[in-house]
Amino acid sequence: MSTKRSILIVDDEFGLAEMLREMLRESGYEVTLAINGRLAFEILGEGRVDLVLTDMMMPVMDGVELATAMRRDDQHRRTPIIMMTSLPTALPPQPEGLFDAVLRKPFTPDLLLETMNSCLGDRGKRN
Amino acid sequence: MSDQVPSPERRPTGIEGLDRIIEGGFLVSGVYIVQGPPGAGKTILANQTCFNHAAAGGRAVYVTLLAESHSRMFAHLRRMAFFDESAIPDRVYYIGGYSALEAEGLDALVTLIRGAIQKHKTTLLVVDGLISAQESSPTDREFKRFLHEIQTLADLTGCTVLLLTNAERASGFFPEHTMVDGVLHLTDELSELRPLRHIRILKLRGSAPVRGLHSLRITDQGLEVRPRIETRLPQGAVNQEELASGPKLPFGLADLDEMLRGGVRPGSITMLLGSSGSGKTLLGMQFLSEGVRRGERVVYFGFYGRPAAILAKCQRVGIGGLKEGVERGLARLVWHRPVEGVLDELGESLIQTILSVRPQRLFLDGMEGFERAADFPERMSHVYSGIAQELERLGITTLYSTETRELFARTIEVPITGLSAATQNILLLRHVEHRAAMLRVLAILKVRDDDYDARMRELRITNDGIRLLDTFAGESGVAAGGGVSSEPRGKEDEAYPGVD
Repeated sequence: MSTKRSILIVDDEFGLAEMLREMLRESGYEVTLAINGRLAFEILGEGRVDLVLTDMMMPVMDGVELATAMRRDDQHRRTPIIMMTSLPTALPPQPEGLFDAVLRKPFTPDLLLETMNSCLGDRGKRN
Repeated sequence: MSDQVPSPERRPTGIEGLDRIIEGGFLVSGVYIVQGPPGAGKTILANQTCFNHAAAGGRAVYVTLLAESHSRMFAHLRRMAFFDESAIPDRVYYIGGYSALEAEGLDALVTLIRGAIQKHKTTLLVVDGLISAQESSPTDREFKRFLHEIQTLADLTGCTVLLLTNAERASGFFPEHTMVDGVLHLTDELSELRPLRHIRILKLRGSAPVRGLHSLRITDQGLEVRPRIETRLPQGAVNQEELASGPKLPFGLADLDEMLRGGVRPGSITMLLGSSGSGKTLLGMQFLSEGVRRGERVVYFGFYGRPAAILAKCQRVGIGGLKEGVERGLARLVWHRPVEGVLDELGESLIQTILSVRPQRLFLDGMEGFERAADFPERMSHVYSGIAQELERLGITTLYSTETRELFARTIEVPITGLSAATQNILLLRHVEHRAAMLRVLAILKVRDDDYDARMRELRITNDGIRLLDTFAGESGVAAGGGVSSEPRGKEDEAYPGVD
């Protein structure tokens, strides 16, 4: 069994998702892609995912809907979720704890890795 | 029962000039192609329409099939006044469709679009990058089937659809054009060093669009479309026989008014034709000054001098009252950079100004400013004719200045076509060499259907105003710059300090 951390990237923007996958693989992560929330939720049911990196606006099921579904699911309630958004100002109000962090696009690789590490480190603290 | 067919319901783009061209907006359930080369403004047009639609209570979904990321697009749109981030994601929603298209083809894209329309209760859908869908299609037939499915979706849901694509096509045939309700073509070209953008309606079912090219500009406000000004103005021959009756409008210069037998007729158009520096602007301002003195509303519309500088100069040479006229709301001075805008922008500014001020007197200073802003010089005749008709309809007494190309010439060329046909009066101003001095002269070349004094007078600009002198009495050949005296020189020939 792999000891690498497993990351699920959920984004309908093909180029960005591909780029993030390559970058995270080079940083030692196992990466899976999904182009909308529904596909992501199916992937979540298939195996271990340590962290979800999701876009906000997507077809079929968006990032908020995915996060809401995960928080209601016993298996994924504690999985860290990082929201990626192109909007620079405040997101529409969300329930507390829905996301572990919010990253505004564009962001640097360092900021992404730092945010991921922080979220992965906090994983055990979540109730 | 009424035989009248009800007008189809439309969705305005909120881009005023565009809505005017397309008869109020896109049809509900209509499918439209917006095409043009990269950078022509397709994405801005579509986004602006989305945000305007959202502001009016609609819901828009924007599907991208291109490599440009949403964050990059937002970065460009953010400086535009229409971009309202608070409308995202509730009323304007962005999704990427390229991944679905790449993975599963056109069927997956249709499924994605159908889902987005239903989920977001979409009333306006944009698909940006139709070329990607076409390239993913194995045959033209498949692509047409895709378009047919989009049409069906639009019909079922009442959603209006904009499909954005590049215009380039090696075959020159656009099968998709036959299947949609309208095609808007955007262009971005250079005219000498000037960038010119246009929009043209190639097809518009169920509407009577204003055909031909219309000016388009991209500013921080977004896309601005200006329908060709001549399409907004009445066309046809100016009815010169029906000039408004009433007392003539004087210049307030006793000598000139006497030459004109009291002034110019109300509603008439007068050309001030002259070389650079011959006094055209000041004579025009004198005309406006006299109007203000009489309590009339006046407008200056020009290209060469900023209002403050013109007012200061008028003040300096004793042409008074205009600054006070501005303060009292009687006078309005409008200035445009000579090469600042497209012709239609200038025309619209002029028409808006005279419609809002409703002046009795108008001075258009430097008609060449219009010509320099013209994208196609052959339009000028129609533009001038339209402007002349509008001025006549509104009963505005108009002076306009235009430059002769030569400082000294035996022949005088009237450089403006179209407007000169609608011109009732022509005043010539120029420099002449006279006894080793450069003098300004004024002569009336034409007053339609009226008597006038045809003498050539020296025009002096002094600190106390404009004066007309009989310097050339008894001489001939003055206009050609070589006056020959047949009589002794009079008292007025004494030295007089002129002001430039």
